[in-house]
Amino acid sequence: MKIRKGKFLSRGIRLHDMKFLAKDIPIEVMPAPEIISISLGQHIGKPAVPVVKEGDFVYQGQLIAQADGVVSANVYSSVSGTVEGFEKRPVANGAIKDYILIRNDGNYMYRPLDPLPDRNKETVIARIREAGIVGMGGAGFPTAVKLAPKQTPDTLVINGAECEPYLTCDYRLMVEKTDEVAQGIRLIAKALGVTKIVVGIEKNKPDCIEKFASYEDFEIVVLRKAYPMGSEKHLIYSCTGRKVPVGKLPSDVGCVVNNIATAYAVYEAVELDKPLFERVMTVSGKAIVHPANLLVKNGTRFDDIITHCGGLRDTTAMLVSGGPMMGPCMISTDLYSGKTDSGILALDSSETDSRNPSPCINCGACAEVCPMHLLPMMIDFYTQARDYQKAREVGGVDNCISCGCCSYVCPARRAIVQSITLCKQKLASKG
Amino acid sequence: MNVIISDTPHVRKRRTTKNIMLDVIIALIPAVIAGIVFFGYKAAVVLIISVASSVATEFVYSLCLKKKPADFVRNFDFTSVITGLLLGLSLSSTVPWYVPLLSAVFAVAVVKMLFGGTGKNIVNPAVCGRVFAFIAFQAVMISGWADAVFGPVEGSIKAGATVLTSVLSEGVSAMGLTNLDLFLGTGLQGCIGETCKLALLIGWIYLGIRKVIRWEYPLIILLCTAFTTVFLNKADFAYFLPSILSGGIFLGAVFMATDYVTSPSSRVAKYVYYACLGILVAVLRHATKIEVVSFVILLMNLTVPIFNRIFRPVIFGAPSIKEKLKARAAKKEAK
Repeated sequence: MKIRKGKFLSRGIRLHDMKFLAKDIPIEVMPAPEIISISLGQHIGKPAVPVVKEGDFVYQGQLIAQADGVVSANVYSSVSGTVEGFEKRPVANGAIKDYILIRNDGNYMYRPLDPLPDRNKETVIARIREAGIVGMGGAGFPTAVKLAPKQTPDTLVINGAECEPYLTCDYRLMVEKTDEVAQGIRLIAKALGVTKIVVGIEKNKPDCIEKFASYEDFEIVVLRKAYPMGSEKHLIYSCTGRKVPVGKLPSDVGCVVNNIATAYAVYEAVELDKPLFERVMTVSGKAIVHPANLLVKNGTRFDDIITHCGGLRDTTAMLVSGGPMMGPCMISTDLYSGKTDSGILALDSSETDSRNPSPCINCGACAEVCPMHLLPMMIDFYTQARDYQKAREVGGVDNCISCGCCSYVCPARRAIVQSITLCKQKLASKG
Repeated sequence: MNVIISDTPHVRKRRTTKNIMLDVIIALIPAVIAGIVFFGYKAAVVLIISVASSVATEFVYSLCLKKKPADFVRNFDFTSVITGLLLGLSLSSTVPWYVPLLSAVFAVAVVKMLFGGTGKNIVNPAVCGRVFAFIAFQAVMISGWADAVFGPVEGSIKAGATVLTSVLSEGVSAMGLTNLDLFLGTGLQGCIGETCKLALLIGWIYLGIRKVIRWEYPLIILLCTAFTTVFLNKADFAYFLPSILSGGIFLGAVFMATDYVTSPSSRVAKYVYYACLGILVAVLRHATKIEVVSFVILLMNLTVPIFNRIFRPVIFGAPSIKEKLKARAAKKEAK
């Protein structure tokens, strides 16, 4: 049993984590609705290419869209039924993506993947790729690509920080499926060929720390409760003391980071031959009647999920897909769940704040909290002045991780993160 | 269903610009009360004139920009109230009514609004207003210091001189007052707000507790001034307390120099900036034998872009200054 304290992260912010809303509610299976709509672009990179036609019968767990290239992922059907057709619809952030519509026959005829003959480095990675597993923390980067870095890593860091407020899906997995998650972590380590496994867990989850401490092969790091503790670079620093150099990747310091949900998906894919077509989502917020942790099939309509949780209260002020720090606002609940959706939040007006921005008073609060030690107010200033090069030079915009700490503390309510995103886009388009 | 659509993050810290400015006003209240107790109703009149004309100036300016009065009320962030208060506190209670009025109009209209309003001014409006008053109304400003109503100073100080000027010109032995008198402001002559250091200290502690400013910022200024003064007077520590308890340095250090808008952005830059400010105050006081705090703050305000350029935080993951020096040394050795 190895438990140690994580390296102190001096910047960042302390939030009301609001996890008490859904923390103690066990994971519950959400019944699939009659029609599901599965997105082909549930990952970073090219959307998957459909391999079924309209009218085809599909089993639960059947491949319906194939990965297009290396940075892409397979998509599986989450129910059995007939393919109703294809459609284009907006996702939460407004981008338009392709969807496959499947009519659920209610029988859930399940076909697993072929069993793995043996479990070595290559077969595990191949299985992870085959099962369509992506980083389930939100980025959606294909895990198989992550597990084959250019530099040979020596440490696997597991992200059990779950630093976003409200979200408790990883927490529930850690508590309820401890052995399975641990087995998944070991499989990832095997795929990477590393023996050192570090699990970083925030201080506010003492029961998880206790449970994981019983495994001899893991090193448990108790992290300070801060946002953004789960950011790759800061997690690595806190867990191992290594700093990822500017412009480099975690693998350059010999680390690979994966999160709890991904580890669980790996366990299911390798041990149970189950492809990734469902995940645990947190439905929370003060405006939800019954907050819950649900095992949701891909392609379930958010509206159905909310109805399943007792619906919205009249006080609902805002709907968020994902965590409140980085997740986008939802215009409607007519959206469909995917591999990277970690939660649905319904916030009331006491929890959210959407006042209009006022002029920057140069209080320096954003620079005080920036975990990357940038000067967000300078980036904002130069972006407003359309001098993007200067924003890069003075503010260091390239290093921003878009965590939103600057906007969180800004007393003038300025949209600093949005300025930075705009600046990044402008710089990228200019080359 | 009506839901709000807004940018990330959806949770925000409760503090707003308005809250911060209200905190500063609350922190100034002890100084205002002390000023009125010490100098009587005249002090209140000066303060009211300067605050009222500051706010009125901002209002008229926004009308000139064809903004609706309702918008003005909604976006009003109390910065002009602070400007007016600080300006009034840094004037003597004996000044004629037009001095606070004209200085406040100058401070808000020319120094703040012409540059673009809140957050865009390059120098502190209140300090600039005070300097304006000194230059424009020299005769009334220098001749008329009022005696505080408390204390035993009959004849101990020459007419027309403040404690500071007598200390500066004749040495600390000519002060004729104890440090406690200086701290409490009993028996002093001076500006409304600069007299009672106790009141300012309370304000400082309040600002520190509310985290409006970091508590060490004014301390850096005061310590740098005190130590430099001691050093300039051949290490005579009798100068240590009088140098910071007399004149305008206390008010300047706590409320004027730490103004957000006219300070550098990053924390390291702020430390260096405040240290420079403190040292410069002591040096210029020694050289000119007059009170220079407002001039020094004005001067340092203009150098803020330089501090911003030189002192940038080291990005997380970039080599620190120590590592850079090591790398350089290693290169030299390799050669």
